[in-house]
This record gives sequence, C-alpha cells and structure tokens, in this order.
Amino acid sequence: MVAVIGAPVAPSTVTPTAGAPAPTAAPPQSRGRVRRAGPPVRFWRGVVLGLAGLYFLGPVLVAFWFTVDGADGPSLAAYTRIFTATGFVDAMTSSLLLGLISVAITLALMVPTMLLVHLRLPRARPYVEVFSLLPLVIPPVALVVGVRGVLGWGNGSEFVEVSAVFTALQDKSLPLVLALMYVVIALPFTYRSLDAGLRGSKVTVLVEAALNLGARWPTVLWRVVLPALRTSLLNAGFLAFALVMGEYTIAKILIFPTFPVWLAQSGATDGQLQVALALLSLAVTWALLLIVVAVAGRTRKAKP
Amino acid sequence: MRSGTAARRARLPWSWFGLVPFFGYVSVFFLLPTAVIAYSAFRVRGEGGASTFGVANMSAALGGAYLDALWNSATMSLVCAVIAAVLGMVLAYAVATSRGGLLQKLVSTSAAVLANFGGLPLAFLFVAAIGNAGVLTVFVQERLGLSLRDDLGLDLYSRGGVQFVYLYFLIPLMVLVITPAIEGLRPEWREAAEGLGARGWQYWRHVAGPALLPHFLGSIALLFCTAFSSYATAEALTNGTLAITPLRIDGALSGNVLAGQENLGAALALSMIVVVVPLTLLYQLMQRRSSRWLQ
Amino acid sequence: MRRTSIRNAGIILVAGAVVLGSAACTKKADATASPAAAATATSVADVGGMEALIAAAKAEGSLNLIALPRDWAGYGDLIDNFGAKYGIPVTVDNPEASSADEVNAIKSLKGQDRAPDAVDVGTAFAISGAEEGLYAPYRVATWDGIPETQKSPDGTWYADYGGYISIGCDAAKVAVCPASFADLAKPEYRGKVALTGDPLKSNSALMSVWSAALANGGSVDNIAPGIDYFGKLKASGNYVPVKATAATIQSGETPIVVDWDYLNAAKTKDLANAGVRWSVAVSNDATIGSYYAQAISATAPHPAAARLWQEYLYSDEGQNGYLAGYARPARLPAMQAAGTVDPALAEHLPAVNVKAEFPTDAQATAAKNTLTQTWASTVQ
Repeated sequence: MVAVIGAPVAPSTVTPTAGAPAPTAAPPQSRGRVRRAGPPVRFWRGVVLGLAGLYFLGPVLVAFWFTVDGADGPSLAAYTRIFTATGFVDAMTSSLLLGLISVAITLALMVPTMLLVHLRLPRARPYVEVFSLLPLVIPPVALVVGVRGVLGWGNGSEFVEVSAVFTALQDKSLPLVLALMYVVIALPFTYRSLDAGLRGSKVTVLVEAALNLGARWPTVLWRVVLPALRTSLLNAGFLAFALVMGEYTIAKILIFPTFPVWLAQSGATDGQLQVALALLSLAVTWALLLIVVAVAGRTRKAKP
Repeated sequence: MRSGTAARRARLPWSWFGLVPFFGYVSVFFLLPTAVIAYSAFRVRGEGGASTFGVANMSAALGGAYLDALWNSATMSLVCAVIAAVLGMVLAYAVATSRGGLLQKLVSTSAAVLANFGGLPLAFLFVAAIGNAGVLTVFVQERLGLSLRDDLGLDLYSRGGVQFVYLYFLIPLMVLVITPAIEGLRPEWREAAEGLGARGWQYWRHVAGPALLPHFLGSIALLFCTAFSSYATAEALTNGTLAITPLRIDGALSGNVLAGQENLGAALALSMIVVVVPLTLLYQLMQRRSSRWLQ
Repeated sequence: MRRTSIRNAGIILVAGAVVLGSAACTKKADATASPAAAATATSVADVGGMEALIAAAKAEGSLNLIALPRDWAGYGDLIDNFGAKYGIPVTVDNPEASSADEVNAIKSLKGQDRAPDAVDVGTAFAISGAEEGLYAPYRVATWDGIPETQKSPDGTWYADYGGYISIGCDAAKVAVCPASFADLAKPEYRGKVALTGDPLKSNSALMSVWSAALANGGSVDNIAPGIDYFGKLKASGNYVPVKATAATIQSGETPIVVDWDYLNAAKTKDLANAGVRWSVAVSNDATIGSYYAQAISATAPHPAAARLWQEYLYSDEGQNGYLAGYARPARLPAMQAAGTVDPALAEHLPAVNVKAEFPTDAQATAAKNTLTQTWASTVQ
C-alpha cells in the first residue's frame, strides 16, 4: 500500500520532543495547545475519544480473542505455532534483510544528497523535492507493471553480464530488486523526514560554526552534523523499515516470498496463525516506534 | 577559507555532480518503469504474437467494465477520504484540546503506527472479528440469533465493508496530517475573536475554518490517493471480487483466466496514474498555501 | 591547480570505466555453447531412444517445475515417484502461482538456471504461449493416445488431465447436500455457497459460472444465464463472495464449494481429520469439462529432463498417477481400451450423470469477454 505516514508531518508528530530548539527561538506560546474548552465540550470530547477507542481497539481485542480461542479453551498455541510454520523463517528473514538493506541504501543515498543540497546547493532543492515526491504519484500496483517490463527486458538482454545482474537481483531468497524499489517508494517520506530534521536543526549554522572553529570536513560531518540529525535519521529509518515489512503489492505481483506474501498464503491453511501474526506485526511496529521516540527523547535531554 | 566569486562559480558545476547518484537512482528505478508503463499501454498484441502500436488496450481500459471499475475506485476512495477527513479532524481536535499530555503522545504514536498498518494484517484482523466465521459474527449468531450480514446489513466482503476497513488507516493518517495545523491555530486568534464578540461557530466560520481549509482540502486529496492506490486490503478481503482498478490490474497480470493481457494491465495502470497525478499536485499546492498561515 | 587536476583525473577515470565496461560485456550469442541435442528434440527418437533420454536427463541433474501444489491432481506423488524412479531431484517453484504467472516465469526467467522446464497451464494460456513461441514442440511416445481435440497439431501443447465441475459439501454442517445447480438456489443453503475465487481470476470459478449457464438455458456460446444465476444467488444471500480454501471449509465459512471434481475429491481425505465430512457430486443438471495442458519451455534449462518428465506423465504409470488424484487423464479412453487403467483408481472417480460440454478456446474467449463486462455489475 502507498502513502503511509502523513509525509510532511510525521517527523514533528512522531517525535514531539525533537523539534530542536533553534538559537533564534520562535515567539513563545505561538505554538502549543489549543485553548481548553468548557464542560459540555468536554463531554462531547469524551464521546469522540470513546468511540475512537472502540473502533480502533475493538477489532484488535476481538482478533486477539480469535487467536486464543482454541478447541480446548483459551490457549496461546497459535503463537507458538508461528515458529514451526513452513516457510515462516525464510520469509521473515527475507523481509528483515530487505528492510535493513533498504534502510541502508536510503540513508546512503539520501543523507549525502540532502546535506549537499542544504549546505552547498540550495538552488537544487526544488528539483530534489520534486523528484522525491514523484513516487507518491504512481501507485505501487501500477508501478509494478513497469518494473515487470524492465525485468523482462533485462532478463532477455543479449549481454551475459546484464542478464546475470538481473538474475542476481531476482534471487528468490533475497530479491534485491525489491529493496531497490522499496527505497524509491519510501522516498517521499524519508525525504520529508530528513528535510524537516535538517531545517529544524539549523545545520548550516552549526556547520559554519564548526568550520570557523577550525574543524575539517570529516570531523564536521561525523561529530556535528550526524548527531544533530540523529532523530530524523531514526525517523527515516523507521519509516523505510516499516514500509518494507508491510509491503505486499509489489512482492506479490513479482512473486517473491517475503513475509507479507507468505502471511497472505498462510491463511489458506491456518486462519488463527494468520491473525496471530497480524497482531504481532502490529505490536512489533508499535515497539519499534516507541524505541525511536525514546531514543529521540534521550537525544533531546542530552542537549544542554 | 575559500573566497572570491570566481572560485565559487567554478565550484558550482562540480557540486552538482554530487546529486547524480540521487537523480540517477530515481530515473532508473522510477522513471524507467513509468516509461515502460506508458509504452506498454499503447502496444497491442496481434494475431501470432507480434506487437504493434495501437490504442486498443487504452480504449478497453477506459470503457465498459474497466471504466466502471475506475469509477468505483474513484467514488469509493472519495467517500472514504471525506469521511476519514471529517472524523479525523474531529478526533484530532478532541485530542488537541484535551488536557493530558499523555493522551496526546499516545494518540500521536498510535496514529503513526495505525496509518502504517494498512494492507494485509488489517484485513485479517477484521475478518477474524466480523468476517463470516469471525468472533463477533459467531457470538451474535449464537447469543442473539442474528446474522450480521442478513439482519444487520453488515457485510465485510462488500464495498461498504472494504470502506469501513479503509477508515482504520485513513483516520489516523488524517490525524497525523491535520494535528500540526490545528496546533498552529494560535490561541490569540480565538481570544481576539471572542474579544470582538464572536460566538463559537462564528470563530470557526470566519477565522479557524478559512485558515484550516487549504490544509483540509489538501488532506482529502492525500487520503483519496491513499485509498485509491490501496491494493492489499481489498485483495485480502474480497479476493479480487470487488470491481476496483487495482484488482483488475492484478487480474490482467496474473491469474488463471485472462491470457496475454499484460498490455491491458499497463493501460489500466496508466489510467490510475492519470487520476492520481493532478490530485497529488493539488495536495502539494494546498500544503504550500496553508503553511503560510499555520507555520 | 590541484582541484583542476583532481577533476581531470576523475573525468579520465569515469570515461575509462565506461569504455572498459562496454567492451567487457559479452554478447550472449558469443558466450553460449551450441545447444544440447535434447533442446531441439521433438520426440524420443530424436534423442536416440528412451535410454538415451534418461541418461541425458540424469546428466542434466535436476528438473524445475512451477505452480504444482502437492494436493492438485495427485502431483505430490507423481513428483516423488518421478524423482525416485530416475534419481533426478525435482524443484517446484511457487506452488500457488497461476497460469499467467507460469507463462510469465518462462519469459522473465529466460536464460536463468531456475527457469521452469515444463508448465501445466489452462488451455487458453497454452494457446497464447504457443503463439508467443514460448514452447518447444515435442510428441511423447504415447502421442496417439491423446485425443485429437486435446492437443495442438504442431505438438507445442497437449492436454494432461481434466475434470468436471462438481459441488462439494460438508455433510457435518449441511443436512442435505446439494446435487445440482438448481439445488444451490434453495433457501436452506443461504450463506453457504462459495466459489474458488473471482471468475475473472480463477479458472474453476469461471467454469462454475459457465456450468450454471448450461443448467439455466445457456450454452457453451452463451454464458449470460450463468452470470444472472449467480447474481440471483448473491441477491438471495446463498452465494458468499469468499474464496474457498481448506481453512474456510474447516472454519465453516464455506460449507459448499463449487470446484473441479478432482480438487473437491482430494479434500475428502485431507479434511477428514478436521471433522469435515466432505462429499462430492458432479452436478446433475449440467457440467463443463475442461483439461489442463502440458508444455515444455523452449528455453528450458534442462531440456532432456523436461522431456523425460513428459514421457513419464503420459506413460501408463503417470496417467494412473493422475487417476490417483481423482483427475481424468487425457489418455483415459485409450487406456481403457487397452486395459491399462488401474481399476481401483478408475472406480473412485466421482460419477458423472449428465453429458458434459467441452468448450473450445474460441468459445472460452467469448465467454471471458462477456464475463469481464457483466460479472461485476450483476454480482455486487
């Protein structure tokens, strides 16, 4: 599925404590809570929040009951069955590795690019922004049609090296072609995250200061820029990783056994297992996000 | 350090090379497949397997049942987007005005997770809850003697059911997107309005509404695109029986019935792109406009 | 100065890399050795006899198959027995893949070692793939035993097994099992009838709708009554648009499934342990029969093994293997005449009490077009 976290907003909302305090502070109290309301509004607010809680938590709880409702009473058998399910370990490993590779490629590609744009080429920013937002425009279910075409062309190429590369990209146990595509699909969100982080942390000022104090570029990058960007790097990494772990469309149509594809097929034989895994993936995503927020919070506290 | 305009100017072209990896990557892994889609959409396979240029596939994709599917996709996504936008805004406002910082953090974290949680796992959750053999369905059947589908008209495997499930990730997405805008509504504006004698609804109509409107409309565009492009959830819930374009593309590309229809799949993909592009531009435009007031 | 020389060095390096790179690419035409004799063999005689074929297949060392679930038409045992008999390990890729995926795999994996050697596809895909030149012509030793209408004249594809549309039913959950399409509309089956997916994606679902057409005044040239019939079933709530699988049968979501008889029959044993008493009946008012087809990939990485696989499938042992999976092998009439059918296996096939229709490919294309245009609006 496409457009996941609301791109321009995710960084500041996900890590509410990480809006770095700018040296030239914004006017106090210009941002913050909306004015609090009186009793009747409080009642309606309670109703709204209650209904929301019911709608979002309800299915989760009911589904959990579905997974523990065994023939002989409640049991966690569905959860222990996960590890022995055929193909689970391979599919999970594949997805995890793809996730890590995608994150690595994303950071390796985007961090130098964003730094270059912010520090040296502000004129390039609109172009980079447009290119980063392009993937939002094409739904993955449509994009995969084109990807299949390119893969077919590459496989049938008359150059041995070219088709060997394409073969390696489509290796069943670790389809790197998926990682390469996932980087593209995550681009709008990772771009926004890094962009917000770079702007919020006033990287240009920090770099100027460091250079004026006599630091060389490697030192500046390693000890000034990257730590300042830690939160947005984590955010971008989280977004990319979560996207990869949940991406079904492209993997299914290209027929690669990643975790979501395996999950869909597992339902044909074991319905409880499928729902148990769905709940687990929700829990794991949550845990990951909490870790990101916690690390971000610690980053904030570390600043004087 | 370096100085002099001459040295600066000489350096500029060199620095642009640093952007080559980025532009190159996007060109190869995104623009190239897109070009292939546009190319294949206008190729027609003739008798004997030879391909030529033609509009047969495009006209098939834009007519008959495929046009119905496109229309279905669009209307379904629009309805979901508007409902999610309104509900999401109400929820975001309720959270933003509440006292507990814990609640706000909880909601923002949950929203980030749930907005991400679409697709398969979501479908399975709902099937387990209110599917034909779901916990609630069976419970209602056994205890109350009612069938969710027949007596209460709640059918998960229908268009309405799919829309209901879409809201599960669209509303959190809306909350994520609109919360900073709501937080950007300065309290001074409300106080000033009340000082001038405005009532609650007048404040909304003349002050907060117009300030939020571009952001709201832009969010609807974003929600629409998200719902429109969704494939996994609908596929898992209805197994391809819902008449929407993403499922038709899947049927044209891989299935046991339609043979040799990959170009039709490309034509369908192109038709989806043509719908989504202007809306994405609209979203971007609205983002720029609303950020002027609410930054 | 230093910067300019660095820049120059960089430019030379990049240019050199590009030149070297393009010169180093080897064209496939130069790189491949001459194709093995087996790759162009159109019959066992071309390879030098059965012994030579077996030797060549063993030398190749493995066989790649695709989209063959183990419980489909007895393929599990067929694959195991083939592997044991000839000592050739068999790899089955993507058991859940569809016919379109198989054809696409031939195209997209061309030249790779894991490309499929032989495919088992629906007739429409056999014909379409033959048009694209994806298959190598080959006539098995028992070629004459395959009925004329079930193979292509140039030997690019040939029917392997088939069946009839049937109604499977869980007797533990349904009091009286339906035996015909007319029965399915009865009120006591409300919320119980399912197909194996969307007719636009699932071949058996398509044939189910078509059989319903036959039962309701339609014909092999007119599928519309079947679509209307399912529209009626959906409106009355009898038909649930859920894809029937073993899991949905077990959970009670889909106690009645319209599917190929060999697939339904195989479930009886598989699901017996789960408390499901699955009974199968070929619908008595009308049914459609259809065959799947075998084809050898023209670019098979193991051409001799592929041909040996075909020889095995069409031998008496192979065809009886299909019978064991409740499917009707293509050579069944010939084998019955020659007396080589395993009588016990022939007995356990579901009985057919009505004359079945076998649509041609042209009729199938027309039916699919009608279905594409009207299914969604009628059955939503």
